Amino acid sequence: MSTQLQINGRRVRVEAAAETPLLWVLREELGMTGTKYGCGVGLCGACTVHVGNDPARSCITPVGALAHRQVRTIEGLEHDRIGRALQAAWIAHDVPQCGYCQCGQLMSAAVLLRTTPKPSDADITEAMAGNLCRCGTYDRIRAAIHDAVRALSA
Amino acid sequence: MPNTTPHSDTHSDTHAVQAAGSRLSRRQFAMAAGGAALTIAIPLHAQSPAQPAAPASGPGPATRPPVNRAPSSFIRIAADGTVTFLLPTCEMGQGIHTAQAMILAEELGADWTRIRTAMPDQVTPDYRLPMGQQRSVGSFGVRFWHDPLRRAAAQTRELLTLAAAERLSVPVASLSAENGYIVHAATGRRVSFGQLVQAASALPVPPSPVLRPAEQRHLTGKTTRRLDTPDKVTGRALYAVDMKAPGMLHGAVRLSPVFRAEVESMDPASVRDMPGVVAVVPVPGGAVVVARSWWQAKQAADKLAIRFKPTPNDRASSAELDERMRAALDAGSVPAALQRGDVAAAFQAPHRIVEADYAVPFLAHACMEPINCMAQARPDRLDLWTGTQAQDILLRDCSAAGGYKPEQIYFHNAYLGGGFGRKTHAEAAVQALLASRAVGGRPVKVLWSRADDMQQGQYRQAMMCRMRAALDPDGRIQGLRVRVAGPQMGRDNGVALINGIADPMSLNGIIDMQYQIPNLLVDHAVVPMPMALSPWRSIANSFTGFFVEAFINECAAAAGKDPLEFRRQHLQGRPRMLAVLDRVAQSAHWASPAPAGVARGLAVVESYGSAVAQVVEARLRDGRVKVEKVHVAIDCGRAINPGQVEAQMSGSVVDALSVALRAKLTIKDGRTEQSSFGDYQILRMGEEPQVVTSIVDIGSPLGGVGEPAVPPLAPALAAAAASLSGKTVRRLPLADDGLA
Repeated sequence: MSTQLQINGRRVRVEAAAETPLLWVLREELGMTGTKYGCGVGLCGACTVHVGNDPARSCITPVGALAHRQVRTIEGLEHDRIGRALQAAWIAHDVPQCGYCQCGQLMSAAVLLRTTPKPSDADITEAMAGNLCRCGTYDRIRAAIHDAVRALSA
Repeated sequence: MPNTTPHSDTHSDTHAVQAAGSRLSRRQFAMAAGGAALTIAIPLHAQSPAQPAAPASGPGPATRPPVNRAPSSFIRIAADGTVTFLLPTCEMGQGIHTAQAMILAEELGADWTRIRTAMPDQVTPDYRLPMGQQRSVGSFGVRFWHDPLRRAAAQTRELLTLAAAERLSVPVASLSAENGYIVHAATGRRVSFGQLVQAASALPVPPSPVLRPAEQRHLTGKTTRRLDTPDKVTGRALYAVDMKAPGMLHGAVRLSPVFRAEVESMDPASVRDMPGVVAVVPVPGGAVVVARSWWQAKQAADKLAIRFKPTPNDRASSAELDERMRAALDAGSVPAALQRGDVAAAFQAPHRIVEADYAVPFLAHACMEPINCMAQARPDRLDLWTGTQAQDILLRDCSAAGGYKPEQIYFHNAYLGGGFGRKTHAEAAVQALLASRAVGGRPVKVLWSRADDMQQGQYRQAMMCRMRAALDPDGRIQGLRVRVAGPQMGRDNGVALINGIADPMSLNGIIDMQYQIPNLLVDHAVVPMPMALSPWRSIANSFTGFFVEAFINECAAAAGKDPLEFRRQHLQGRPRMLAVLDRVAQSAHWASPAPAGVARGLAVVESYGSAVAQVVEARLRDGRVKVEKVHVAIDCGRAINPGQVEAQMSGSVVDALSVALRAKLTIKDGRTEQSSFGDYQILRMGEEPQVVTSIVDIGSPLGGVGEPAVPPLAPALAAAAASLSGKTVRRLPLADDGLA
């Protein structure tokens, strides 16, 4: 069985069984390891990708459900202004410590800024509360999102 | 942009150095494995091949570093001028690779934008801490390595300078090393490091290099962006779990849910026909199912027919373990871990007695990157792809499990997606080794699920403590009696007991407390635990900080004194403690009343060579404690990268707050009840307090940064919570008292 996917704008055919979570297809079949395994049950957000315009937890998203859907991963984040602005702000604030959760954080933040270009602190909390950071970098994540917003509206 | 992958050094000159190492005066070149880069390889002293790890003596205080470490162990300069730093400490988020590279680059005069960092691919004595092991433990990354790294860089700089002096026919004193060049300021001539490598390598290593004076230290002491950030925001940074090798297979584990149970029987045929399954491999305490993908391996591991033998732990429960610890608090005399003055006499005529029992639960490390390791076990060589805090523990356990000599074991060091002490152990490495061997030496990457990670032990120990103080009429503590009840974690981890009695991994923070109390008696009634225990960020101080400081706050209240004044009264002659107390009081406007509805709590702890004071500001919201702001003052000596000191302060506060408010592990029927972030709840976005950090520099020796800000948080929080709620807060987490 194979599934046709659109990942970061490229068409890919993958062989994994339909029920296989997208996470493992990305990491093992496609060698795209920026998307991380953290909990496998959608609780930590380390595996966040975009499916269409929405954030999705790739660890609980069966690949079979994604035929012909647009998937974006951290490897494709820099393809648009919002992604680049977020990455630049993350670097300016030196957000990551261990960094393991940060790709998922960035993917969630990108959806937030696409839907809410001028988010309040409450908007940030709501959009980001599903992404755990064991190093406790939340203060810098928040500051970096605000910075990216400023850069994008400049 | 600097290349910052932490991957092992791929150069092969370790061998070359060994071959010539017996002749101290010999210089040599070693060709890089690829043949592209000519590197300096200067054996300053005989390097012996990797030895089996010495018995762990525990992360004791930093001793004066041995001075003679080969500069070439840390610095490689290629003919094209590329400078590679080989760093002894793992990067698990603490920013250590940047800090260590700053120390090396500054002293060497390297071009900061053109350096690379890597880690050594074999364990040699040059990379070991005074405990005799290559470890990333005890917040030693800067405070121990600063001097040896600086010295190695100064030696290399002097060699390059000597070579340049010959080449330019100018005096050595007229030259300086700047941005990757040796510069002759008088004429403006300069020679790049790369051009000097060959000549420099033929010169004798200066035994007494002159370190740069303070005014030439332009890099350390200023906030410098981390080298690893760019790769960590693009997904390019590689963690152990991301490592690849040709022909690799994937392993998922099926381990006993009951602590320390062994396999009674298993039926590999039960999963043999499942998709992708390659092998079922018995390992200590269970099995590894090897398959073409981890997902397939995991499906099969869950279905594997396996039975475990009964154990004495089958009925272990938190209720029963708590009962045993409470009984141990009441138990009769046990050998004193520390005795000072005459405690009995101090209690004979006290003005007032203060007594309190405290308790903390088991904790998981819950690193975002679950436990994993890839191994390729060939007959004469073992390769480990790992993010480890303890190369020497892996060396020891893999030597034992696989029959390898230490010099046959190679490390491919990756970033760690968190460590917190958990990635000190070698279970996954041994499992991967056995699995690889079972599939003919193909590489196998073993990855634990989140539930495996949370339920397979290696916890921060549960502990109880009874404090009893005798206060004199002036409110001074004249006598203090401390009884700790719980396991001896240090002994479980191979750490020697002090005087055969005191376990540093249970009692640090009590037996070395800074308060001046004339009569003190500390003992430890040992209560063994069913599961394996592991250091957790700040080790014993993670709970002794709570016991001591919560009790100091209670004693201050009993004495009718302000907690800051009460501490000052008992800390005369402790300038570091007083300095951070003063600074945190200033930051929090301690002398002024708190805003309406806000309660404050104070604590101060010296651990890992640094003193940290904190003031927690909290409110009650719907009966629950909400921490709004935490003021932190740290004296860690000279801050090498101040921005990363701040990052560690705020990260430590969030870490400590997670477990002070809600997170804990409970045991039932010999197994852990929690399995993931739904029932082990760490702080999420929106729950983080504002953290205001002050770095105090009073000329103290270098101290640690990754751990010392954890211990003060819980007791400061408990004091604020007690003021807000009117309840006495003597156990963690606060959720157990309905306060979080």
